[in-house]
Amino acid sequence: MIGLVAAVAPAVHQLAAQLPPQAPQGNNRIGSQAAIGTLFSIHILLAGLVSGAGELAPAIEFLGYARQRRRYDRLAHGLGRFITLYFSVSSTIAILLITVLLVGFWGHFWSTMLTIAWWPLVIEAATFVLQVSLAYIWYYSWDALRSFKGVHMAIGGLLAVASFLQVYMIDIVASYMLTPTNPQNPLRLALNPTSYPLTVHRTVGNLAYIGFVTAAFCAIRFRRARNPEDKAFYDWAGSFGLLWGVGMTLMQPIVGYSYAKEIQLHAYSAWYKMMFGTLSPVFLWQITLLGLIFIVAVTYFTRRLRTDGAPGAGLLKLATAGLIASTVLAALPYHLNFTYDAVVAAGLDRPFWQGGLINPLGSMIPWKILALIGYSLIAIAAVVWYLRGLPGVVWGTARRGEQRLLVLSAVLTVAMMVTMGFIRENGRAPYLITGQITIEGQQNTQSAHPTPAP
Amino acid sequence: MGRRLDATYNWLDERAALRSLVRKGLYEAVPVRGAWFYTLGSATLVLILLQLVTGIFLTLLYVPSVTEAWASLQFLKQHDVFGSIVRGIHLWSAYILLFVIGLHMVRTFFSGSYKRPRELNWVTGVILFVLVLGMAITGAFLPWDQAAYWTAVVVTNIPAYTPFIGSFVRALWRGGDAMGPITLVRTFGIHVWLLPAILFPLIGVHLALLRKHGEFGSYVNYRGAFRARECVDVPPPPAQRPIEPPYPAVPTDEMWAVPLQTEDFYPYQTFKDGLVSVVLVVVVFVLAVAIGAPLEAIADPSTTSYVPVPEWFFLPLDQLLLLVPQQLIPLILVLPVGGVVLLLGLPFIDRGPERNPFERPAVMVPGAFAVVFVVILTLLGSGRLFNQ
Repeated sequence: MIGLVAAVAPAVHQLAAQLPPQAPQGNNRIGSQAAIGTLFSIHILLAGLVSGAGELAPAIEFLGYARQRRRYDRLAHGLGRFITLYFSVSSTIAILLITVLLVGFWGHFWSTMLTIAWWPLVIEAATFVLQVSLAYIWYYSWDALRSFKGVHMAIGGLLAVASFLQVYMIDIVASYMLTPTNPQNPLRLALNPTSYPLTVHRTVGNLAYIGFVTAAFCAIRFRRARNPEDKAFYDWAGSFGLLWGVGMTLMQPIVGYSYAKEIQLHAYSAWYKMMFGTLSPVFLWQITLLGLIFIVAVTYFTRRLRTDGAPGAGLLKLATAGLIASTVLAALPYHLNFTYDAVVAAGLDRPFWQGGLINPLGSMIPWKILALIGYSLIAIAAVVWYLRGLPGVVWGTARRGEQRLLVLSAVLTVAMMVTMGFIRENGRAPYLITGQITIEGQQNTQSAHPTPAP
Repeated sequence: MGRRLDATYNWLDERAALRSLVRKGLYEAVPVRGAWFYTLGSATLVLILLQLVTGIFLTLLYVPSVTEAWASLQFLKQHDVFGSIVRGIHLWSAYILLFVIGLHMVRTFFSGSYKRPRELNWVTGVILFVLVLGMAITGAFLPWDQAAYWTAVVVTNIPAYTPFIGSFVRALWRGGDAMGPITLVRTFGIHVWLLPAILFPLIGVHLALLRKHGEFGSYVNYRGAFRARECVDVPPPPAQRPIEPPYPAVPTDEMWAVPLQTEDFYPYQTFKDGLVSVVLVVVVFVLAVAIGAPLEAIADPSTTSYVPVPEWFFLPLDQLLLLVPQQLIPLILVLPVGGVVLLLGLPFIDRGPERNPFERPAVMVPGAFAVVFVVILTLLGSGRLFNQ
């Protein structure tokens, strides 16, 4: 041990000598962006789950009460356990992000943002306390309030409201960064042009995300389960999670499109970058991912019904074919080059059959819109058909392939979340706050006086 | 005094059978559970009556002419506090009526109350909803201020998208190709005569059908609800209540025929109905006094700078029109018409006996999606208008 310390000590000493004496603002822009981007992605992936669980778990408890079925209670209780375990992990990352990375690397931006969005951030902090308090009360009073189910469900309802408020408050900040309004007016700040669409998009998204991840978790637990009761429960819960996820996701084409429309109206350069610029290939990947999620989900529905010989599998196959066609249509690129500008610069702004690099079938209007409408309508039909077939399913008999599909749907959803975050954050570039602070400007502005070297 | 009143009552009872009428009217058996949700129908009726009363007051002053309409309401606003409040009540009760009637429909839909033998209750209800919506739309034209004028321009143009007869319908409503005095007069006629002439008899039919079949309530009140429960046996059929109406009014699925627990309409349900209605009327009054009914500048067809703001109940459609490209607008305008046709056909499409919403995915999933879709579009639309 002493030898190891002796070996490492000179390297540590040398490293310490090279470390900056203060927060590294103004240096290493790529490093700062990578650190923030990575940690924020991890935080959002975890926080999205916790927040979604805070809304989904009480809803499942209510469903269980309305349907008088015990397995709903077991699932809701399990989600409650998840919240109590992972809330602190997600919060710790958030605190690390704020206290170390945001203040340390992006001090000028953060102090500006804090000044502008002070009230939403204060409420955000309060809802954190409220959410964790309610989550613990809700989870630990499960048995004590068994005879007072109404009271327990009311606490769950409050937990859902607190979870929603928490998302809304941070969305005010995030949306303001893209579409800033008069910061002196708190109402204008709270209702800036993209705050509603982003909040709806993210709330529905979080609810879908927790559904898919629950499905994947239950798929893994199903594989490990040994007794028939557990097998039946995890089989059912996996199916429920996927159904919930698809049920929420089928609203996203409309909500997401509304969000994009507001960006077009209020932050045109960001919108242009997403649709025609450097982010357009990533956007294409995102819309393709959405189709893939639906395809995987409907394939699961088909297989699950077929396993037990339940009716409806044939029609679901047809729905899968429809979804594949919609996804192909959605995935077609409009400009057969990295950006539309590159096509124009090359003088090839004409259809490909005329020797150009434009594919009219890949245009947003009307083809991608029709593909999005196709996603939603076919998914609704598939959900209906699956639900109609469910009485013929015997829980606990699922096969390995179905469980793999559940895990795949969660993986695709995580990819979707990361892609969306990437597009939204990079759409704003070079601005941190559109029209107000650029990344360059932040780096060149010292928010704190450097500490003189001793 | 008391004796005279008694004598008068007895005289009337002898000739008009008042006692029996009151007994039939008040001592109906209604399901117990979920009774607060059943107040939405009576609240709708109270708000429609409020519309009628305030509407009569307004016709005493309002002049349906493009030169006088705005001036008559401006006079009301500036010189007549009472009249101004009445106009405020008319406006706010219309807004709340649309909200309450929407909730009433949603409740009826989710509870499966439209099923046999109540199909015609549902059909008349859908027509009543469309008529109330028509009243609200035509009422929005009448002030003939900027908002009214440009709303009229947009709304009267919508029928033009109908294949073959679109232009004819628009010209018929407008009284020509362009908006003008005839547009206002016709819309006024539709608002105060045509629509109410259909609305009020239909309310009578709706109530008579409700009285005949009784309030269905919710699936939780019936034996059928127990079929899907774990470890719970289906309870035996309940005894029939001696009072009117008998459940079931016509032969129907035995599981969904007679509520397990009922109570008298009076005083139990009437108390709840009364309370909800009083609260709504108070809310309407407060809004009428505190906010009142807005009146913008007089209509100016030559302006190019005015940005029309749709009425809140138009927000979902307005938001949808904003989202879709020009080529798909006719398709979007088919949605409301298609929606109404689907609603009218609902009891004839979903004919199974099952009332439990969790066991009716074929209608519940699209229905729930449609409701959430409308709510989300309204939210997004209101956010957009705020930033306009």
